[in-house]
Amino acid sequence: MPTKRRGKLAYKILFGFLVTSLAPMGLVGWHLINISQASLRKETLAMQESLAIGFADTVQKYVTTFKNVLTETASLEDFVSMNPIKQQQSLNRILQIHLAVLELSVLNDKGVEILRVGRFLGPTPEMRDFSKEDVYQTAVGPKGQYIGRLERFQGLYPTVTVSVPILDPRAQPARPVGVLAARISLNPLSTMLAMEFPATGKSQAAVVAPDGFMIAHSDPKEIYKPDARMPDDVLKVVTTQSNDRGGGELPLPDGRKLLAAFAETRDLGWIVYVQQPVEVAYQSSDEMKSQILKVLVWVVLATVLLSLIVAGHITAPIRMLRDAADRLGKGQFEDLPEIVTTNDEIGDLAQTFLGMSESLKEKTGELIHAKQELEKFTKFLEKRVDARTRELKAAQDELIKKERLAAIGQMAAVVGHEIRNPLAVINNSIYFIKTKLSTGAEPDPKIAKHIKIIESEIQQANGIINEILTYSRQRELQPEIVKLNHWLEELLSVYPFPPHIELVKLFDPADPTLSIDATEMQQSIRNLIGNGIEVMPPPKGGKITIRTRIPEPGWVQIDIGDAGAGIPADVLDKIFAPFFTTKARGTGLGLAVVRKVIDRHKGRIDVESQVGVGTTFKLFLPTV
Amino acid sequence: MTKLPKLLIIDDDAHLRESLAEVLELDGFECHQAGAAKEGINAAQKLEPEIVIMDIQLPDSSGFQICQELRKRSKTVILIMMTGRFLSSEEKKQGFELGADEYITKPFDLAELSARIKQLLSRNASRG
Repeated sequence: MPTKRRGKLAYKILFGFLVTSLAPMGLVGWHLINISQASLRKETLAMQESLAIGFADTVQKYVTTFKNVLTETASLEDFVSMNPIKQQQSLNRILQIHLAVLELSVLNDKGVEILRVGRFLGPTPEMRDFSKEDVYQTAVGPKGQYIGRLERFQGLYPTVTVSVPILDPRAQPARPVGVLAARISLNPLSTMLAMEFPATGKSQAAVVAPDGFMIAHSDPKEIYKPDARMPDDVLKVVTTQSNDRGGGELPLPDGRKLLAAFAETRDLGWIVYVQQPVEVAYQSSDEMKSQILKVLVWVVLATVLLSLIVAGHITAPIRMLRDAADRLGKGQFEDLPEIVTTNDEIGDLAQTFLGMSESLKEKTGELIHAKQELEKFTKFLEKRVDARTRELKAAQDELIKKERLAAIGQMAAVVGHEIRNPLAVINNSIYFIKTKLSTGAEPDPKIAKHIKIIESEIQQANGIINEILTYSRQRELQPEIVKLNHWLEELLSVYPFPPHIELVKLFDPADPTLSIDATEMQQSIRNLIGNGIEVMPPPKGGKITIRTRIPEPGWVQIDIGDAGAGIPADVLDKIFAPFFTTKARGTGLGLAVVRKVIDRHKGRIDVESQVGVGTTFKLFLPTV
Repeated sequence: MTKLPKLLIIDDDAHLRESLAEVLELDGFECHQAGAAKEGINAAQKLEPEIVIMDIQLPDSSGFQICQELRKRSKTVILIMMTGRFLSSEEKKQGFELGADEYITKPFDLAELSARIKQLLSRNASRG
């Protein structure tokens, strides 16, 4: 089916175009997308890291701020003097200014608490001994400060304890006279985280101690849990990092992935941890990718469409050529589709095609003409062959008939000849008897009569034999030139017409000249007249009519008619056959001889007969 | 008593020979017979007949050969050929050239035959 192939070339061109241009572009594009996605992810991670670092700073500053407050306070003259009243005033002031400070304590140089103020303390709070604890030991130690003792205030929100030594500036070197300690709420960190990482987002941030203690969390629910801790698996990953900052994708046991970043605070050893689900973290990069892919798809679609149009345009003349070739193939040389000849190889092809179709048209025309001629000739030949076949058949039939007749004739001749001998003997003997009797006196009249009968029968038998031999003998024609009327007159004048027959002669005065074998033709005419006489027996008798005329130039017609009983139609076509007879006595050769003689003269014999009216034989003979 | 003319009939059919001979004897001929060509030629040599009537077809030879043979020996003998069939004009011509005087076709009109023979005899006699 031609329609199935349609556009195949266009598709090929399209495919080639796609392979050569679009595929490399696609590959490069894909690669670029991946690169930019990777860098985008790296950026995201870096951002997350910087967030963590930034917050680590914040945390550090938060704690440092309070430590500085404590250091400043501890260095106050009033404070160094260890005047309890003055000290209490300072501490109260701190409580007023710094809401995050929950409790302030002053320890003496032995590490025993001597002053304790707090927001939720009763009027006489219990004094505690810190002499053995880090709060005191580390603060008075070389480090000169203490930050630690992470715990939950009233089991709820996390607190850190900061302590600094109270140094006597007059002593050389400075000697600690006591320790100022403060218990500070870490809740503001959580609040800050919550502000930074709102609960609506997917990101979470936390600050944890290396032992997993949850210092702050962006989700307030997390931080108020009594045993709030960093999940161990995350903690393990974070704490085993050799760097003090970093990040990456963190697979979770449930198969999800997190993008996590962490940073350690400078002095505290706390870890700030920021996490968000990978899909959120990479949302922008994924969006970018899908956007680019969308664009890419559009580009591909547009390219395909454009390529189709271009390919279609390029192949249009070829398709047109193909259509034209189809038409040529079907032999439609007229109304070929108009072929636009472009200025390129296809144009050349179209030119060649046009030339080819012209010559094809010419050649086909010649072929068709030749075919018609051939058909005409074939028909003519067929007719000739048919006619010839008919002629041959007729000739063959004639030959068979002739051979059969010849065989019959040969046999008849042999028989006739053989009969002639005994007939001659009988004839001689009866002649002898007759002669002997005639010499004696008064022969018996009955014997004389029987002798006559025998003689008559001998004559008849001889006549029959003559007829047979005449018919069968192979005699050369001996034509001679005769004037028809004269020849007929002579013949009729010696013919023994019986008295009951009237002869009517109607001769054409033109008196044509014929070339005939007079002996044979005479025999024929005689046979016909004889037949006519026989069918008009006495006493009634009748007319024998002999008429000549010229039916057409070159021919003469001799009619010999009688007024006898006529011949029935079913007998009429057999009368010329040899040995056919309706008479009681007769060889059935009379008319056969006539037919043979007329045939030998290249003539024709017809017969017309009407029962009760008579019969007319019509001989047609060529004239000279 | 004048000498009767001698007549020889050569035919293989004995009945025909005899009947013809006896009819012609009635007409005043001295008839002899022969059944074959050789016999006929011998008889003609011995008898020297004035007239020979012979069949064209004989078992040992053709009448034409006898005719030729007899004509060589005698210029005057009357040679009559008998035939039971039609002869073509070519055959008749050949026969006349070989010396035949007459043809007769079976069955014969005996009165006519007798008259013809007598006519031929009288012609020979007048020539001397």
